[in-house]
Amino acid sequence: MSAHRAQTLEQLARLCRTGRDASLLAGTAPTGWAELDAILPGAGWPLGAVIELMPTATGIGELSLLMPTLAQFSRSERYVAFISPPYVPFAPALAQRGVQLHRLLVIETSASVDTLWAFEQTLRCNAFGAALAWCPFVKDREVRRLQLAAESGRSIGFLYRTPAAALEPSPAAVRLRLQANDKGLIVEVLKCRGARSGMTVAISCADSERASGSSLRSPASSP
Amino acid sequence: MNFTVALAMYPQVNTLERNLKAERSALERLAAWAYQFSSTIVLGDIAPAFRKARHSLLWIEIGASLKLFGGLRPLLARIDQELAELNYTYRLGVGPTLEGAALLARAGIRIAIMTTERFSARIRNLPIRYLALTDETFRHLHIAGIRTIGLLLELPRDALAKRFGPQTSDYLARLVGTAPDPRPTFELPRHYDAHFAFDFELQSTEALLFPLQRMLREFCGYLRGLDVCVQHFDLILEHHGAAATSLRLGLSRPERSAEKFLTLVREQLDRITIPAPTVGLRLSARHFVEPSAQQSDFFSRALQNSEEFAHTFDRLVARLGVEHVHWIQCVADHRPEACWRKSHAADAQRATLAFPERPLWLLPQPKLLQRSHLIQVISGPERIESGWWDGGDIQRDYYILRTRDGANLWAYKDLAHNGEWYLHGYWS
Repeated sequence: MSAHRAQTLEQLARLCRTGRDASLLAGTAPTGWAELDAILPGAGWPLGAVIELMPTATGIGELSLLMPTLAQFSRSERYVAFISPPYVPFAPALAQRGVQLHRLLVIETSASVDTLWAFEQTLRCNAFGAALAWCPFVKDREVRRLQLAAESGRSIGFLYRTPAAALEPSPAAVRLRLQANDKGLIVEVLKCRGARSGMTVAISCADSERASGSSLRSPASSP
Repeated sequence: MNFTVALAMYPQVNTLERNLKAERSALERLAAWAYQFSSTIVLGDIAPAFRKARHSLLWIEIGASLKLFGGLRPLLARIDQELAELNYTYRLGVGPTLEGAALLARAGIRIAIMTTERFSARIRNLPIRYLALTDETFRHLHIAGIRTIGLLLELPRDALAKRFGPQTSDYLARLVGTAPDPRPTFELPRHYDAHFAFDFELQSTEALLFPLQRMLREFCGYLRGLDVCVQHFDLILEHHGAAATSLRLGLSRPERSAEKFLTLVREQLDRITIPAPTVGLRLSARHFVEPSAQQSDFFSRALQNSEEFAHTFDRLVARLGVEHVHWIQCVADHRPEACWRKSHAADAQRATLAFPERPLWLLPQPKLLQRSHLIQVISGPERIESGWWDGGDIQRDYYILRTRDGANLWAYKDLAHNGEWYLHGYWS
């Protein structure tokens, strides 16, 4: 009897899972990190969604985390946009990580209303696979708009926010807190549609890991 | 009804002065628009006399265009649809002669009549007031009891010419096609220059959108007529008592879609503040481009994406300014600040330049770094010594440093200037 019940429960759980996967996920894009793919439903970033990233500091690998996905998009037919980046996206570094630079559009804005506008336009456009935006102040309502734009364009919106934003609720599909420790980057899932929250994975994606591992090449012959 | 009577009946009556020049330019814009349907367009005169000014004439020779547009019915439907979008009041008539088509339009007969025989038979019972006769001729004919066109046409031509002047008999001959009716055809101008003057001042940019839409649609008719596209055009807003506002509209690929043009104009109008109310609009384009072969119905995902991209890109540029939307490229230079550049076109770089590992973020200006912030050196130094030939020479030792909270910095020791430490990037 109890065996029978266990079987029914498991069947029910499977039904729930598959139903959820089919209805909520419009497809996924692999993150490029096996550890992270393992905990995300559909084994990757959900397409047609806004993903919030809240790094505790600059320089912990918060951008390297996305490099495999961005490289993948840029190699296929889709564009990637950097909207209002805090510093200069360094062309040699992006090229080294496999990003096709002719598929990467940098958009500078002077006001947060323009950042959100440009973010929405690029997400809504089918030609863009992913858009990254740095915007310190975003309201709930605005995230919901972005979410709808991403759904209609089947694109991924990566929104970089301050660590304080983790305390507020947000309609974003996925919310990740990023911090560094000796092992590398620690990704904490604060919220994830279709999966349990509170999971934590360590990813060794900080550039310095590679940089320190490989001996620095001396600059090519001086001109 | 004259003005005094109208004023007596309705004191709040709104009067507008007639503007012959504006009427003429509207007719010319329409002619340019009509060029998409035929290469033979004839313009009627703008009659200064008020009684005759109820309409102006525009003829389109459609005999040669029927095949292209799939027959008479689809062609007329297309003309109707576009004219409705342009918001003109109009009447169509299809006839075998110029004056014949004009007569049918005036009489409100929408049946297309292709031969002169059928035309003569059809107009037989129409009253003579539809004819383009002088008031005096009309009055005399009326008194003589000639009420229908049929009766008038039966009169001997010589007698008519003697009685009412040769122009009347000549008109009737041209009407029924017994005399030729050669007229100068409209020449499409090589440059597009349309002007639209308002009788009132438009305060808001929102109010401009309505006349703009019409102008852009006429413009697209002209482009279709020439079978060309544009990549740039200028829009000038004329103000009362202030310098005109000039807008330059640029597209990343040649287009001729009024809707796309309008969204771009909208973005630009959102961005600017207009110094004074607008009293006129001017649209001009000088350079035209052959439509690319890509514009055909060939449909692939890549092509569709590139079109969507172009549209989004143009909107971003229209709102944010061309200098704020760009690509980045690698440059063969050892100096970090000189090994990349902005680019305003997407050039696929075939040759990849080999650089040592570089951080994803570069600071636009190196920032003086306090030594106390440094926790440990992860790797380094990487000596970069270059640029003595162009005055921008540097002598630096680059290190990767790790701070207490786990952030990796790209910093250098300036060997040329007393060994200060500078932050130059983040290994984000």
